[in-house]
Amino acid sequence: MTSFLPQYPFATSPLLLFGLLLFAGLAGGELVKRALRLPRIVGYVLAGLVLGGSGVSLLDASLVNESWIFVDIALGLVLFELGRRLHFAWLRNDRWLLATGLIESALSFAFIYFALTYFDVRPIYAAVAAAIGISTSPAVVLLVAQELKAEGQVTERALNLVAMNSVIAFVLTTMLLSWIHHEYRAGWTTIALHPAYLLGGSLILGYAACMAVILLSRWLGKHAERQLVMLLAVIVLTIGAARMLELSVLLALLSFGVFSRNLDERHDLMAVDLSSVGQMFYVVLFVVSGARLQLLELMTGGAIAVVYVMARFVGKSIGVMSLTYFSGARAGAAGLLCIALTPMSGLALAMVHGASNLYPEFGARLAAIVLSAVLILELAGPVAVQFALKRAGEAREEG
Amino acid sequence: MTGNSEMNFKSSPSLSVGVELELQILNSRDYDLARDAADLIALLGRIELPGAIKPEITESMVELNSSIHQGNATLVAELKTIRNAVTQAARRLNLHIAGGGSHPFHKWSERRIYPTERFKHLLEVYGYLAKQFTIFGQHVHIGCPDGDAAIYLTHILSRYVPHFIALSASSPFQQGEDTAYQSSRLNTVSAFPLSGQIPFVHSWAEFLEYFEKMRGYGIVESMKDFYWDIRPKPEYGTVEIRVFDTPLTVERAAALAAYAQSLARHILNARPLAPSRDVYVLYNYNRFQACRYGLEGRIVDAYAGRQATLKDDILETLAVIAPHAAELGNGEALARLRADVAAGRTDADWLRRVHREHGSLNDVARVQSDLWMGTGEPAKKDAPKA
Repeated sequence: MTSFLPQYPFATSPLLLFGLLLFAGLAGGELVKRALRLPRIVGYVLAGLVLGGSGVSLLDASLVNESWIFVDIALGLVLFELGRRLHFAWLRNDRWLLATGLIESALSFAFIYFALTYFDVRPIYAAVAAAIGISTSPAVVLLVAQELKAEGQVTERALNLVAMNSVIAFVLTTMLLSWIHHEYRAGWTTIALHPAYLLGGSLILGYAACMAVILLSRWLGKHAERQLVMLLAVIVLTIGAARMLELSVLLALLSFGVFSRNLDERHDLMAVDLSSVGQMFYVVLFVVSGARLQLLELMTGGAIAVVYVMARFVGKSIGVMSLTYFSGARAGAAGLLCIALTPMSGLALAMVHGASNLYPEFGARLAAIVLSAVLILELAGPVAVQFALKRAGEAREEG
Repeated sequence: MTGNSEMNFKSSPSLSVGVELELQILNSRDYDLARDAADLIALLGRIELPGAIKPEITESMVELNSSIHQGNATLVAELKTIRNAVTQAARRLNLHIAGGGSHPFHKWSERRIYPTERFKHLLEVYGYLAKQFTIFGQHVHIGCPDGDAAIYLTHILSRYVPHFIALSASSPFQQGEDTAYQSSRLNTVSAFPLSGQIPFVHSWAEFLEYFEKMRGYGIVESMKDFYWDIRPKPEYGTVEIRVFDTPLTVERAAALAAYAQSLARHILNARPLAPSRDVYVLYNYNRFQACRYGLEGRIVDAYAGRQATLKDDILETLAVIAPHAAELGNGEALARLRADVAAGRTDADWLRRVHREHGSLNDVARVQSDLWMGTGEPAKKDAPKA
């Protein structure tokens, strides 16, 4: 008689989930902004923590896993945008910036690796954790910069260094897969070919996507709206293709961005602003990363997390402080850059996640080391970036 | 009277020439205006350069000053030296530098005032006009032996203001729109209450009287507060022509300076005309014609009492001042200028053609910066001649 009415318990849908995540992020972001004057990102993460396993458990593990599609789109958009900040011409004209990026990455790896092994973490875990630690969260730096409408040398240099250390972190974690496979006694073909397939395949996919957008924008002409839709289409297609082919979404999209910035010699592709479209996916990204974090882990893994965070900061800072003076940056920029490079977030989670999919046991042990550090830096990172960019005088609005 | 020493007209080498260029600082992502003036100036401060590099009212601008020159050859060489240094520094900061009187699509509300006391004061006084003042002009200084000569030169040069506008016009786009003007920049200047022209005084003594009156009323504190098209600059001992749009290349900037210098030599040596109120009666009409139509504009000659196109009037003037140009070593520069005028080539037209060919104003800003920085992106036939 009332068959037209929904049956209890109600069937949920991904749309309901997406809306919920978006709304929770919005509320958390606004509260944190108004009450504490902190970046909204902190509020997104806190909203996730509250809703997640550490809080009221509304977002349990299965729901979090269901949200992968939004997280993938968000990471894809962020990495594409970040890739477009990596400008080879700049690195040629200011070689000290390139040197800073390389040395900063190398030192953060070395410091984390040696600190972890010193505290009896097994070398293979220390190495993968250190490789993940090379990368600064692109999402945090990009979003805080966008929120503050920041622009200037510290902002641009920070984004370039993030782009460089993300590339290096991806390549290194991918190569370390060989070691993990070896550890778990996989066959020699897997050990040798899996990283090669991931690296080569993802780069080729990124390159193909880049060529597609260049040709398509040549065909479309200089119309920002049409180019925006075309770009979104190719970005989502690339994410889907990377998933389908078991390639790295992260590396494919980052290389797509880098190629499109540096290979578009005729300037066919306009500088399309993805931030308004990306914004809602970014909110979801941070809420989900918050939900994935476990406060309990911080209690147990707390000490090693502090070691990890400190070693990483020292490594990055020595790299940046020693070479920035020789680059074109003004005096005082180096210190602010060190602070701006602290965040870790969803990207690190995604890399840990990638390892867990292969060998759950390995993933769990790695997570115990890295995730507590991510928890700290996910909350402190946005505050650090906001401080650095405001202090640099590059924020347009008090926001 | 106290505090008056800056109003003593300092004698300078007669008919010497110096140039100030306001330039655009662009980012290399979408070629919108950037905000890196302080970093650029700091980086250039690390090296030895002739002339000077200074901040301007917003953080998206930088001003280059040449030193004092007697003719075109040394001026153009020095401007090229400064340009190359600025280009190199900009590249290290991933910035682009462009000439042109306006940025084609920036939004004035996004500009930030360069943090000095004077510029902050201007923002307070003029409100949004201060940010809209993110436009880019070339100032040419002509050395004068004394204040009376400066007043005379200012009055006679006023007749030629449309020439300077038409020859330099390079601001066809503003805020993302084609304005239909060859020089839209001067419309922005006209909004300021102290813009316009010098009053009709006949000697330096008479001018001082006027200045003291204005200062007594509290309207101005120094000559800097007058935004006139042409103004005497007593502390340099010069007359400063301020109506030029910054041209797209430093070569063109030097050629415009050569035109002004040769014309000034003709005026001061031959004293061909007497100051006339009629020039000022017709002034705004003629100025509008030059801004709107450039070389095709029709002006009324106050002395001859007839209409002429600016193109014809300039070509005629070039013939008259040719001997003076030769004396100063400006002959070659003016020959090239003459060829451009005869062919009707202007920077504004060149920018419009780039827009038609590339289809977006971002591309206009990019190609315009490539041209100024000397990366030679545009084909030879496209490049405006100096």
